[in-house]
Amino acid sequence: MATVPLGTHFYHCCPSESPKFRIISRKYKRSSLHDSRKGSFMVKTGAKSCKFGQSFDCRILSTTVRASSSTSISDAAVLDAAVSDDVIYRETFPLQRIEKVEGKISIRLDSGKDEENWQLTIGCNLPGKWVLHWGVNYENDPDSEWDQPPVDMIPQDSITIKDYAIQTPFTKSSTDSIYEVKIDFNTKSSIAAINFVLKDEETGSWYQYRGRDFKVPLVDFSLDYNNAVATKQGFAIWPGTSGQLSGTLVKSEDSLSENENKKEPIKEKKSLESFHEEHLIVKETSVESSMNVYIKRCPDSSNNLVHVETDIPGDVIVHWGVCKDESMKWEIPSGPYPDNTSVFKNKALRTQLQVISQTESGQGCSGIFPLDQETTGFLFVLKLNNNTWINNKGDDFYIPIPKQTTSQTPENNNDNIDQEDEVVSGYTDEIIDEIRHLVTGISSVANRKTKSKEAQEIILQEIEKLAAEAYSIYRSSVKSLPEIDDFKDVDVELPAKATSATGSGFEILFQGFNWESNKSGRWYIELQEKIDELAALGFTVVWLPPPTESISPEGYMPRDLYNLNSRYGNVEELKALVKKFHQAGIRVLGDAVINHRCAHHQNQNGVWNIFGGLLNWDDRAVVADDPHFQGRGNKSSGDNFHAAPNIDHSQEFVRKDLSEWLCWLRKEIGYDGWRLDYVRGFWGGYVKEYMEASKPYFSVGEYWDSLSYTYGEMDHNQDAHRQRIVDWINATNGSAGAFDVTTKGILHSAIERCEYWRLSDSNGKPPGVLGWWPSRAVTFIENHDTGSTQGHWRFPGGKEMQGYAYILTHPGTPSVFYDHMYSRYKSEISTLIIIRNNNKINCRSTVKITKAERDVYAAVIDDKVAMKIGGGHYEPDSGSRNWKMVAQGNDYRVWEAS
Amino acid sequence: MEMSLIARSPAIGRDLFQLRNNYNNTNLMFLSSSATKSQMGFLQTRYPNLHLKVTARSLSHSQPAASTEPSYENTITSPKDGVKLYVGLPMNSVSDCHAINHSRAISAGLRALKLLGVEGVELPIWWGVVEKEAMGKYEWSGYRTLVEMIQKAGLKLHVSLCFHGCKQENIPLPRWVSELGKSEPDIFFADRSGKRYKDCLSFGIDDLPVFDGKTAMNVYQGFAESFKTSFSSFMGSTITGITIGMGPDGELRYPSHQEQNENKVGLGAGEFQCYDKNMMTVLKNHAENHGNPNWGLSGPHDGPNYNQHPISDTFFKENGSWETPYGDFFLSWYSTQLKSHADKILSMAASTFSDTPVIISGKLPLIHSWYKTRSHPAEVAAGFYNTVNKFRYEEIIKLFSKNSCKMIIPGMDLLDERQPSELCSSPEMLLEEIRDGCRRHGVEVCGQNLEIGGTCESFEQIKKNLGGGNGIEVFVYQRMGAEFFSPEKFPLFSSFVRRLNQLEVDSDDHLGGNEKEATVFVPRNNPKLQAAYYRIRSW
Repeated sequence: MATVPLGTHFYHCCPSESPKFRIISRKYKRSSLHDSRKGSFMVKTGAKSCKFGQSFDCRILSTTVRASSSTSISDAAVLDAAVSDDVIYRETFPLQRIEKVEGKISIRLDSGKDEENWQLTIGCNLPGKWVLHWGVNYENDPDSEWDQPPVDMIPQDSITIKDYAIQTPFTKSSTDSIYEVKIDFNTKSSIAAINFVLKDEETGSWYQYRGRDFKVPLVDFSLDYNNAVATKQGFAIWPGTSGQLSGTLVKSEDSLSENENKKEPIKEKKSLESFHEEHLIVKETSVESSMNVYIKRCPDSSNNLVHVETDIPGDVIVHWGVCKDESMKWEIPSGPYPDNTSVFKNKALRTQLQVISQTESGQGCSGIFPLDQETTGFLFVLKLNNNTWINNKGDDFYIPIPKQTTSQTPENNNDNIDQEDEVVSGYTDEIIDEIRHLVTGISSVANRKTKSKEAQEIILQEIEKLAAEAYSIYRSSVKSLPEIDDFKDVDVELPAKATSATGSGFEILFQGFNWESNKSGRWYIELQEKIDELAALGFTVVWLPPPTESISPEGYMPRDLYNLNSRYGNVEELKALVKKFHQAGIRVLGDAVINHRCAHHQNQNGVWNIFGGLLNWDDRAVVADDPHFQGRGNKSSGDNFHAAPNIDHSQEFVRKDLSEWLCWLRKEIGYDGWRLDYVRGFWGGYVKEYMEASKPYFSVGEYWDSLSYTYGEMDHNQDAHRQRIVDWINATNGSAGAFDVTTKGILHSAIERCEYWRLSDSNGKPPGVLGWWPSRAVTFIENHDTGSTQGHWRFPGGKEMQGYAYILTHPGTPSVFYDHMYSRYKSEISTLIIIRNNNKINCRSTVKITKAERDVYAAVIDDKVAMKIGGGHYEPDSGSRNWKMVAQGNDYRVWEAS
Repeated sequence: MEMSLIARSPAIGRDLFQLRNNYNNTNLMFLSSSATKSQMGFLQTRYPNLHLKVTARSLSHSQPAASTEPSYENTITSPKDGVKLYVGLPMNSVSDCHAINHSRAISAGLRALKLLGVEGVELPIWWGVVEKEAMGKYEWSGYRTLVEMIQKAGLKLHVSLCFHGCKQENIPLPRWVSELGKSEPDIFFADRSGKRYKDCLSFGIDDLPVFDGKTAMNVYQGFAESFKTSFSSFMGSTITGITIGMGPDGELRYPSHQEQNENKVGLGAGEFQCYDKNMMTVLKNHAENHGNPNWGLSGPHDGPNYNQHPISDTFFKENGSWETPYGDFFLSWYSTQLKSHADKILSMAASTFSDTPVIISGKLPLIHSWYKTRSHPAEVAAGFYNTVNKFRYEEIIKLFSKNSCKMIIPGMDLLDERQPSELCSSPEMLLEEIRDGCRRHGVEVCGQNLEIGGTCESFEQIKKNLGGGNGIEVFVYQRMGAEFFSPEKFPLFSSFVRRLNQLEVDSDDHLGGNEKEATVFVPRNNPKLQAAYYRIRSW
């Protein structure tokens, strides 16, 4: 059934409720209530039948209908006895609350019959229709984390999900109330790991471990599994973790020669150790209840009695106050108070509702609140015993108290309103006419310039507001934007601490600025207006410009790192912006420029290499091998950026200061991660240190160097280029991802020269970083340097959508550039994002290249999405499944499997 | 930045608008002037690019009796009032429990449209909502409320009576119809493999008493009568037009394109839909009368599949069956069934509403794929026998003419160049062909767009189709909703509205020396104006 959060609907359903209330609501119009003209549209018809708040489910609808008809038509028989009393207001609120039950998931690995046959037991002590969704990862196929297990491993009653997973229902064990699945396996079956998630069929929720799959490693080589369970007990701390990747994934002999940590990959199989561990699981079920509020006139005095009834079980405390005017300000009324009432901090009253047994569900509670005549509104929220609050979606419940003097017959009231309404529409019609007259037949130019402009302004504003209003309503209702809620809501533990550098794996990055953004001086404020839209479009991470004081206005020549007033705005505006992004569910990356730093002072030779501010380093912090800056540090561990002194990261005091600075930014500003500028300039091992210190949720480095060309033509094989990027990521121990410059370069050639065959490497895989290490590849087609007003390496013009069709359907974490988002491509990009989310494409999705020819490239991703770019013909193979085209544009198409 | 431009003639003015279109973010003040008089159109662009043009047309509304009747140079085809623009309301405006979906958004939308100078709205009224429960049991309350809202907003209304269901919006046919369909599947169309199309009734039961002694046509008529009675007070005042549903998606055609949604026509040309029992009986009789009983045993054996390339190796290939006597026999019969359905439903509607001032219209599809082939397979499968040697739209158009109905043609926004080349499609040529036929037979054409999210290009195309003596008086823009009001799309639309009106200003320019100038009274201390101003401010 529909779960209806109280919110905007409240405004719909309220006015349709009782004619009397409507009058009051006009008088005590809250600012957030929209214009009463709309209210009056409703008034005219409200009494006849229900027409509003259709999104309530029918059950609720029918109650409201009954309530309204019984007050307007005196058909009292429909309702309970309460109506026959002098009920002057009645309202039913649907309430939604979350019930949490805690339980445990146990994972036990033990040897079975003999050394070879082992058993993995997964149990859960919460009741529910649990299903284990699992697959295995074979030793010889590290790319594919999900594969079908050997047949003899599959327990009875299991269902095969496509070619990558098994669903096995839990069975209740005979001894205690634990639901269990047992998987037997043979240690010789070359299985590297068993991956699984739990699914509760009743609620449809998925349960994961730290935002990722549970992973039980069975051999001791693996990628950097930070989701591996049993890390303490057994075999998670292996030798060779840091160097393993180059050995297993990327064949490279000499790439890591400077890497101290390098070790030959060790792939020996340690003997399995049994373990048993438990994880906390919290199951949330949403429960729908309802609350009836009605107001009766007290027959003896002129007081009103507000009745509150609800079917929520357990203790319910009404936290309440009254207001005496339109201000909605909480006040404590004078007595008498109901029983069980206490005063809370002199601001509100708390009354525990009395348990009754006459509600429909058999349990529930109610309370009666006497209010004196002065009271115009009754404000409250509900507090449940588990410290949960229920309010009206951010607002307090507000019950307007009808005035005695307005108790005329409903018919009269209706008439009044109709008249009022006529007048209103009369007004607006007239203004339209008059303004038209103003503009159409003007003779005096001077007059026109001043007056009609003003008049137009009025209409313009109104149209704008109306359209915006309609847009917001329609948009919120079509929010079919598939959420990854499945995953977000059910994290067994808080995922925040994981330093995976790739976030959830489902991230979509937005570069929130371009080369011109500093020009206005108020970028932080301007960007705020776009947050809601960005969230609605599906972005999860935003990259903000460098925040520090800088010699150049764009921020990439930082000087005083602790001074966060820049051309983009001041530190307070930055904090507010980050906070707003967080409220919208978007994580924020800071642009950390730590390769170089501009000096405050000159040394004795007149060279600028002495720093000031809080980090008052001297020339020992500057690398020695750039003669321009006469540094006294060590030789640079990377390439030099020649426009400013390059920081010598080999100095311990420098690293300590930078680590502290990053931590400070995390804490002070609230950044969730980093975009690291010019990481070619220093060794990735230092980045690893910074990442370990600052624990980002997501981080990405800019490792940008040139692709290989022969006689001016780009080589097909760009393995050396991507190898350099992969090596850098590897040096950071995977603690940061990197922009996939290789993919951008190859897309350039493929699209520009119609050489789409370039998009498949010699192994039939994507030729960029994303073909080798997708979870660390941040794909992009343009940024503030390559494009914008600089255009150092611009993507082929007019073909940008082909680029987005590629990166937004492929693994890796895609990044969308500001200039493209706010261009004619917006709706196309947004469609692609929706498709990505719909199909849960993530940074580790699998790609099957189905065509890479001169004029067309086509691929199938995760068996769910097919895409092509290029002018050539391609239709996905309709053999196994039906493909539906879901997006198309200039030389690209995307299909979904149905 | 503000920029002033002076244009010598209206023609240059149009170019300027094009220029403006390219640079939407520029603030631009546009002045168009000619030697004899000055005529001003104001537009100020501000984020999010809303334009307002206050039109000469509205003036002529409020002062219809201009003292000197202007002599338009091109009055023969261009209607005096210019194009009346309607905007479609959301398909699901009224829910199946007769509540208004998003009434707040609708009422805001209506007011915005009114202020923009839009003539009215189009409202689909669904059979499956109104007559949901039982045959003859109509529930109009939801729609009545909505019509009242529209009336209050001061807008006109064009209703579409929808005798079909809509999968995307999850609006089915009435429950009792679907129930009957379970025991009597032949009330629905079937393709060669026997697959049923359950979103509208087969033409085969138009005259068969399958509904408790009533024919499908009786049932449609009952619905139309009930509508007329229930909304009699709005007829002619608020309700200015009625579109009668003629088939799948309301359009006159066979449901030859199943599965595919309207915007994304696949490669295939569709399948023939004549395989329900009743249609086959008619075919059999027809073949026997024709002296070729064997031809009535089935449809063409080599008809294409939905997704099959129709020109390669099917009925429709070069020198294929379609060019044989058998092909001509079958296609003539197939298209005649469509034609006779059209005749029945149009004359039913015309007679039902003959005592009202409302104009009836019916909608044709614009089946433009494969138009540039000789066999026109997509059109033919949909029932329009419009191959290279025939012009069978003409026969349909004559029916519209006979019943004094207007014809709605969608796809005025489509550009040939935007169509995938492999489809051999030409929306522009097809549109031209149908429109020519209508002109010859005096059938008035109402335009509609086909693609929901308008782009600069598609608006430009619409404008082109509406101007230039095409004689289109009414254009229905589809359709209100989140996308319509979105910050990217709405400014395009409002600028389109303004530019439509600009057409009229242009034609006013031909007024000769008649200077249309008037003194303006600026109500400085007009309390009502101020009150209204205040209201808007405190919105």
